[in-house]
Amino acid sequence: MGKTFSEKILGRKAGLEVRAGEVVTVSPDYILSHDNTAAIIKEFEKLDISNVACPEKLVIILDHVVPASAEKYAQNHKSIREFVEEQGIPHFYDVNNGICHQVFSEEGFARPGGLILGADSHTTSYGAFGAFSAGIGRSEVASIWATNEIWLRVPETIKIELKGILQPGVFPKDVILKIIGREGADRATYMAVEFGGEAAKNFSMSSRLTLANMAAEMGAKNGYFQADDVTLSWFEGKETENFEIFVSDDDAGFSDILPYDLSSVVPQIACPHTVDNVRPVKEVEGLVFHQGLIGTCTNGRLDDLKQAAAVLKDKRVHPKVRVLVVPASQNIYLEAVKEGVMETLAAAGCLILNPGCGPCLGAHQGILAPGERALSTANRNFRGRMGSRESEIYLASPATVAASAIEGKITDPRKYL
Amino acid sequence: MAEKTIRGKIWMLTGTDGNLIEDIDTDQIYHNAFLHITDISQMGAYALGNLEGWKDFSRKASAGDFVVAGRNFGAGSSRQQAVDCFLALGISLILAPSFGAIYFRNAVNSGFPVIKCPALKDFVASQQLKTGDILYINLKTGEARNEIRDTLFSVEPMSRVQEEIYDAGGLFLYGKSGNRGK
Repeated sequence: MGKTFSEKILGRKAGLEVRAGEVVTVSPDYILSHDNTAAIIKEFEKLDISNVACPEKLVIILDHVVPASAEKYAQNHKSIREFVEEQGIPHFYDVNNGICHQVFSEEGFARPGGLILGADSHTTSYGAFGAFSAGIGRSEVASIWATNEIWLRVPETIKIELKGILQPGVFPKDVILKIIGREGADRATYMAVEFGGEAAKNFSMSSRLTLANMAAEMGAKNGYFQADDVTLSWFEGKETENFEIFVSDDDAGFSDILPYDLSSVVPQIACPHTVDNVRPVKEVEGLVFHQGLIGTCTNGRLDDLKQAAAVLKDKRVHPKVRVLVVPASQNIYLEAVKEGVMETLAAAGCLILNPGCGPCLGAHQGILAPGERALSTANRNFRGRMGSRESEIYLASPATVAASAIEGKITDPRKYL
Repeated sequence: MAEKTIRGKIWMLTGTDGNLIEDIDTDQIYHNAFLHITDISQMGAYALGNLEGWKDFSRKASAGDFVVAGRNFGAGSSRQQAVDCFLALGISLILAPSFGAIYFRNAVNSGFPVIKCPALKDFVASQQLKTGDILYINLKTGEARNEIRDTLFSVEPMSRVQEEIYDAGGLFLYGKSGNRGK
């Protein structure tokens, strides 16, 4: 029997022949952390070790509450900056860069064949580049800082076989919502999700990031696209050292192969309060909402902002709705300004916020009051995530959020094509 | 070496329908608003603070108690506060049919027993488990006994790596113990 992507990549890193279910000890290429670095530092200090083993492997990006909205956040940021200085950590990105997953990708840390671990559940994102990439916890990160190694269980793999072509007005976000809705929030717990099939090659890097990011919402350990020409062209003109392309064998032992025909997907929406509570947008059309969010590590890239701008061009956001636009990184912000996307969105009445996680995790910048409903391009709609536990969050594509913002109620975006 | 058999009074995390609540996510276990807290001892007060019907859990629970929950407990974020808040309260074990993947790792690496019991729903349906019951669980063999109802059932024993980390008293000590990768 052949091997899966994850068996190959973890086997290479461990220097062993491995199969799903085995536990290996490996040394990651990079370890990501964000504002929670402050808490990791506390854990690290308990280990009674003065220096981080490999400071060049740490990538620290402040994004969760940027700039600090209260003294407690300011204190955490300050302690992180001091630690970075003391330990001589070269890869530090302060509050003016953007969301960790976007910045990490743009800076070229995510590469085919890489092993990346991060103290954030959406670290699955870098599977978009053909890396093995998983979220871990704070103690684990502290321990890796100290020892430069960690145990991992080699995951079993579910293969999503994508075929067909998306219809106009339907986007990669709709595809991943459809998959999560059908398969369930714990379908892939402890497992890898391979996004493959003949249509995988039609997914841009940005789309791949959206899907790999949300693999976490199926409970996946990691989610990935295998590196191909799309991946390689993304790296044109960039550093391509340490590349290694791993591909699952045809006769690899997949736990399941699940076919998805893209041509039959219609705009989807995840309803409160779980990400797998997914229905076609049509079924909830007409529901009023109060706050729209276009951004996040799931859908805050240039193509996402363009989708929204295409719908909102020469239109106005409904007077009873406020729309927050949060570009995923400073680079995206700049590009969107240059291309006139920000002008379109601002002219439509959207409120443009600085790059970062924004209101997605309910810590600042647009907290929901009891009884309010948000329509967001984010990846999670857990009860109370964006503020009051008496508020509701719906998740959809940027186009759906933009179309709905015009009408002041949830709207299928295809009427604005 | 840590205790292989532990005993505790259980809290059944049930909803208004009497069933165990499924998909209790990390936002319900430990809300975002308190993520700035870095001192574990201060986290206990917020345990389950965003779970309907269980906001007063931190005041009701005692050190040594067990928590019993529905499928996919701890789905979502990687925030370790969602594990640490129970450690802060002295909760000694969590039993559920399944756990969120990162949640499970966080608990394992903290040396905190998280135990899977796929058939849990059946025991609840047949009323073999109720809040206040006392359970004995052998973490190595998976044998479990409800002392109050004098019934026996089985849970999944710890995996080897989970047991080794538990014995070592946490991930870092496990790394130093020389046990690793044996």
